[in-house]
Amino acid sequence: MKKKIYITGMHSGQNPSSGLGIARCLRRAFPDVTLVGVDHTHGSSGLHDSIINEELLLPQWSQIQDDEHAAFIRARLEEGHLWIAALDMEVYWLSKHFGTHPHLLAPNKEALEFTAKPAVKILENWPVSSSAAGEFAEFQVPDYISANLPDAEIHSFLRTHCWQCWLKSPYHDALRISSWSVFERARAYLKSNWKTSNLFLQRNVIGNEETISFAAHQGQLLGAVHLEKLQLTPEGKTWAGRVKPLDESMSQNLGQMVQQLGWTGGGELEFVRDPDGRKWIIECNPRFPAWIYGSALMGANLPGKLISHLWKLPLLEAIKPSATFTRVVYEIPTKDAVGLPRPKDPSTFTWATDGKHGKGGPSFSALLPNLEEQSTSEVVPLLPLPPANLAAEISSIALFFSEETPSRISLPLWTQQIFETLHQKVQTYCATGKPRIQIGYSVKTSPTDHHLQAAKNCGFYAECITQKEVQRALNFGFAPHQIILNGPGKFWPLTDNPITGVQLLFCDSLEEFSRVLKAKEQPKTLGLRIQLPQIHSRFGNTLSNYQDFEGLLSALQDLKRIKRQPGLAFHFHMPSWSIGLKRWIEALESFLYWCKGLEQLCDLPVHTIDLGGGYFPEDLEKLNLAALGERVHSQLPQVKTLYLEPGRSLTQESEILFTRILDIRKNKNTKANSSEARAESDTEVIKEIVVDACIAELPLAQAFPHRIFFQEAGRVPSEVARVPLGVAHVPQRKTFALAQPGKARILGRICMEDDILGQNISIPPDVQIGDLVIFGDAGGYERSMSYGFGRG
Amino acid sequence: MALDVVKKESSFQAWVEHPASHIVHHDARCCEEARMWFLGYARSMQISALSRYELRAPTWLSQLFTWGPSAWPIAWCELVKMKTLDCGVFAALAREAFTAQGFEAHPAQALLSFNPTCTTHWKGLWKKPPKNPLPEPLKDQKKEKTHATFPWIGNEVVYHELCVLEMEGNQAKFYDSTWGNWFTPDQETGFGALLALRTECPRLLHWGDKIFSYGEWIDL
Repeated sequence: MKKKIYITGMHSGQNPSSGLGIARCLRRAFPDVTLVGVDHTHGSSGLHDSIINEELLLPQWSQIQDDEHAAFIRARLEEGHLWIAALDMEVYWLSKHFGTHPHLLAPNKEALEFTAKPAVKILENWPVSSSAAGEFAEFQVPDYISANLPDAEIHSFLRTHCWQCWLKSPYHDALRISSWSVFERARAYLKSNWKTSNLFLQRNVIGNEETISFAAHQGQLLGAVHLEKLQLTPEGKTWAGRVKPLDESMSQNLGQMVQQLGWTGGGELEFVRDPDGRKWIIECNPRFPAWIYGSALMGANLPGKLISHLWKLPLLEAIKPSATFTRVVYEIPTKDAVGLPRPKDPSTFTWATDGKHGKGGPSFSALLPNLEEQSTSEVVPLLPLPPANLAAEISSIALFFSEETPSRISLPLWTQQIFETLHQKVQTYCATGKPRIQIGYSVKTSPTDHHLQAAKNCGFYAECITQKEVQRALNFGFAPHQIILNGPGKFWPLTDNPITGVQLLFCDSLEEFSRVLKAKEQPKTLGLRIQLPQIHSRFGNTLSNYQDFEGLLSALQDLKRIKRQPGLAFHFHMPSWSIGLKRWIEALESFLYWCKGLEQLCDLPVHTIDLGGGYFPEDLEKLNLAALGERVHSQLPQVKTLYLEPGRSLTQESEILFTRILDIRKNKNTKANSSEARAESDTEVIKEIVVDACIAELPLAQAFPHRIFFQEAGRVPSEVARVPLGVAHVPQRKTFALAQPGKARILGRICMEDDILGQNISIPPDVQIGDLVIFGDAGGYERSMSYGFGRG
Repeated sequence: MALDVVKKESSFQAWVEHPASHIVHHDARCCEEARMWFLGYARSMQISALSRYELRAPTWLSQLFTWGPSAWPIAWCELVKMKTLDCGVFAALAREAFTAQGFEAHPAQALLSFNPTCTTHWKGLWKKPPKNPLPEPLKDQKKEKTHATFPWIGNEVVYHELCVLEMEGNQAKFYDSTWGNWFTPDQETGFGALLALRTECPRLLHWGDKIFSYGEWIDL
């Protein structure tokens, strides 16, 4: 009986599997070998290629009986045939349901564990080359976290990495994450598509993609090549590349790794080389890559080497010194024996080429086995408790809350603590640091009496963006010299005599600057808001072309000509929470560079710098004032005062929103298969609740994760005395609880599709209609941007 | 030159003897302001979320300016108002950007292989007057030099200007500032293949198995 080679993963589409590439390699090396193409979907295009001798179309993975399929494969292998698994998830399926066999060309379970992403543990032992010129000295793993962590931690990770991350499933697929809403959609999609909760977030690495592909048998490295990807598809798949031999040290290290793992079959190490030449591992795939035939064309036929080794077949080849290949698209006739799937009725499609259901070819996830049960059990870490004082204040208010809902309640003690902490931090810095730092409280964020009072008590100035806000600040007791006037609408409402005699006034345009120069009263310091190239903003004076720069220089010359010349200031404002702290620091460096240049060109000293606000609460805590001051002082030694304008970071946590439950919706575990699960199927799980607040009261509900608390209504034990405010004591009662991560969501009261106030939380099983749900982080813009809606 | 095809080109001698291009500075406020704006702009365009990278190629140059004919000599105060610049200006600007980042950047010149169809188009493009709008005070001065472009286009070979960085261990990195690509020492063939290179780095530079000394053309 002639031995055959079974090759799976035959689809060759815009996101091709490796099967056809492997088959082409083997046909090139051994013209007479019998190749059997295997797949689980009728639309698998590679099965139609004439180099395949036989086609084996199996039922979809969802219909596969694991034992039956394992027995089928075993029977083929016992007959001496070979089975090459070309799909990651199939390799994992084999490791679970089949085990190993001398004729099965796939890595074993242990090898898979040590090469699983994102950590790729085996590379921790990767020897570091002593040679400075060593091409592959070491690999680093880009920062990552589990997507199962509490949302607050995920939000922090995304901010830290400037909203440039990937959300990845453990096997396939990765989606770019650029905002919180994108993350929430992507998480839901990947969980549903890949039927796993084991997702992780990884920071993006800029660089050129490269890979090492290799073939091994029972720990013996048979061959390897190094590919530089020269062209990529929009999906990030290789379209053209340069194939090179591995250098000696890399080859040795790879040989050791393969030996340690007892690797069998193809494999691929994917990495990114950043602009500084460092190598960042992306993943280790347990199969040959789809571009593998490109390597064979250049003289490195890795699948050929594997079969040559196993069947003792001669294979002569020599790798070309530097060889490139590209892919093309071409048409082939289909085979009658395979045929094409009939397209589904299109009447319910969203798009005419809907890949999952329509004529766009099979979706990738449909080609793969379902590994839901194989996923490691989901361990959801508990959300860390908020700071003790904050929790104490919320719980003490919640215990005796009896007002109408929804109701926004201030946390005066916590407010005082936040303001005073910043005040102390600034005072400590100012004792030795240069320039002086002055806080300007952003009035628009929350113009309530208690916030203005807290700002005033701490000696903060008032940063206003309209004449009405200026009036409000003056009426509250701020002196004109304690007011900063900013923004594009600072003269609203229009009057004949706007207030301009303030401490600091920043113009949003050169036209406005020109008008202010003619005003009766001049501010003590007059400045321009700068719009940096590369940082997209609708505010400030652009520097993106030379003509604008000339205009700005001309305006500064006008400033020099007026009699009572105010001091010169520049303003940069870009919320660090939306662009990330690292990028904010980069932008600051650039801003200071411009200021220094303008100072030199105009021979006009810059007295004041204003860096705006937009800090997330925990980011402001991280901000190193000494380093910030030093940065400014080193570039602009004549700057006397550095202004910061926090608002959100001071007020976001200082209010909470009380709501009551209007409806409770439950799920039955109807999909239970196991007897244990069937026994539990009567247990109802709360899938969602409706509360009496809505996005009108919490307009940023989907912009960042909020802390949520549950409090039973009307069950205050008589022996629990009211806890005096300020006493750091959290009542140890089960009735007050912080919502932990889970699968439920909280819906708002209005008939709007996007009125979803909380997602991915667990809801205590004993909640009842009328119980309180308390949203933390409901101050700042949540208050000032809230609006009346649906109240009749 | 070892390659016969290069020697056949009528401008061969002009290419190999041509010094790399430099931007004129009038030593006056006009050029001071223009250069300050360019360096400020370059600094802003380096802003990246991934700030740990030391080397940030000015790939944005090709978004700021279009490649095409520009007259020589050219001063800072002129180029900042132009839309179209040739590879010599691109290379000089890239050197400024790299130098501001703290790298040792030097001029480099290259001879590249293209097909005659391609070079015919470029010859046509270069025959047209530059599209750059000239400010009034400069118009009279420029009359004499609007067509003073260098004959960089041969039949199958073209002259091109690059930027070379002097990296650790005297390793060279060649950057095509016009198109935002890095050249690699791997042998290239076909469209745009590198035939020869020269640098103006005062020290020896290594690039693959080649060694470059100041001003010496190296066959590739």
